[in-house]
Amino acid sequence: MANKKSNDPVDVWHTMLGEMEKGFNSFATQTMSSPEFSKVMNQAGGVAAGAQKQFEGLMEKYLVGMNLPSRTQLVSMAERLQAIEAQLNEIRTLLSRMMQDKTGGSGEAFGGLPKPRRTRRPPSAAGGTP
Amino acid sequence: MNAVSGSPLDIGSVSDRIQTEVQRAIQRSIKGVEYIASSGPQPGATPKDTIRSRGTMQLYHYRPMTEEIYRIPVLIVMATTNRGYILDLAPGQSLIEFLLKRGYDVYMLDWTAPKPEEKSLRLDDYVLGFIPECVRAVQEDSGETDINIIGYCAGGMLSTLYASTHTDGPLKNLVCFTTPIDFTQMKLFQNFSDRRYFDVDRLVDSVGNVPAEMIMTSFDMLRPAARTMGQIQLWENIWNDEFVKSYRMMDKWGADTLPLAGEYFRQMTKDLMWDNKIFNDTMTVGGREAKLSNIKVPILHVVAEHDHIVPYEASRHLIAKVGSTDKEEVMLKGGHVSLAAGANAVKRMWPKLDSWLGERSV
Repeated sequence: MANKKSNDPVDVWHTMLGEMEKGFNSFATQTMSSPEFSKVMNQAGGVAAGAQKQFEGLMEKYLVGMNLPSRTQLVSMAERLQAIEAQLNEIRTLLSRMMQDKTGGSGEAFGGLPKPRRTRRPPSAAGGTP
Repeated sequence: MNAVSGSPLDIGSVSDRIQTEVQRAIQRSIKGVEYIASSGPQPGATPKDTIRSRGTMQLYHYRPMTEEIYRIPVLIVMATTNRGYILDLAPGQSLIEFLLKRGYDVYMLDWTAPKPEEKSLRLDDYVLGFIPECVRAVQEDSGETDINIIGYCAGGMLSTLYASTHTDGPLKNLVCFTTPIDFTQMKLFQNFSDRRYFDVDRLVDSVGNVPAEMIMTSFDMLRPAARTMGQIQLWENIWNDEFVKSYRMMDKWGADTLPLAGEYFRQMTKDLMWDNKIFNDTMTVGGREAKLSNIKVPILHVVAEHDHIVPYEASRHLIAKVGSTDKEEVMLKGGHVSLAAGANAVKRMWPKLDSWLGERSV
């Protein structure tokens, strides 16, 4: 089978790609393991983080001036919507529980389905295969 | 099969191959347009209810799929950098669905992006706040006192810290997937956060929460060629609907990395990356000693042979250091993600997890 692969141009291409990936990753890992890389990366990262923060501040002021919502405000709005959805879910859960209580704890779970019994045993205990 | 190395090309097979490749090239053009025009599959579709939500914390209860379930409920604690739907990608590729069909009562502690006002969250808030709150909610919801916990990656680390600081229960069994313990062995992360050059205070003080892009870039840098090679593979296999579906789900998940709360990141960097406190038995959480030897409950640690994020050298000490007598480490083929999700996981990890946990869940 291995010999057949050597004749298949597509397999040769795949092998070459795989080797290239390994080689590149290995080279990059070696480069990134040096203290010099850490120094340069963190200097650049620190400057970029500071600059980004400043730019965000300026942009925020500009958007306020233009009477437009900022990205932070839109993200916050989306999160509030998610929170509302989560609260709706909680209300639904509570309603289901109330329905359960109303039926006198008759062992019903969501959607009126019977609540499962907590009596399951592993297949090995019953002599079966897991 | 009968061709041998160095023999002339089999003209018939080459011609077949060319025909197949031409057909695939046509399919690629058609499916490529479909790919761009469609939104992709929606993971995380197993029916669930959000039973508790507080800031970045979300607690789901998945609806049982069998008439009879194990007595002890399972709480899955996700990594703080990633969304929990990696464990619920699609029917047949979902650990959650697998556990439900095997009769487990499954809950998940998942995370959303921390809001700017949550930048002060510390490890203490996760270990002594969020996890115990979810444990109580699971007890209340299930009516059971005992609880099993499964922690994935940093979720495993949080779970071990929880277990080591809550030795009086109600934790009954602990399962960890690829959980880092010796942070000096996470070589590249160590170099990225070299204390001589990485000013974590300046970063956190200037950005508040650490942006998701930064977390994602640091993961990508561990294997810089992986994304490009992934895209080449996608183009090659775009005629294959199953491949495209899996690729899109994984790609969506990879791009859905979460920001980290600033103080949590600062503490992780100083206590774990720099001082390696869990490994050195000097870790404290909220003033409580968090030694791994405090953990006495049965524990299973599943590690991946080719894990590039948490290499085996970083995770191998967990089983050696816990105080449990019933403890087991299993090394399986695969990487950090394919250990828990994907075809490998279906064959290897899930059955092992089921056989270990099932016996201890009655």
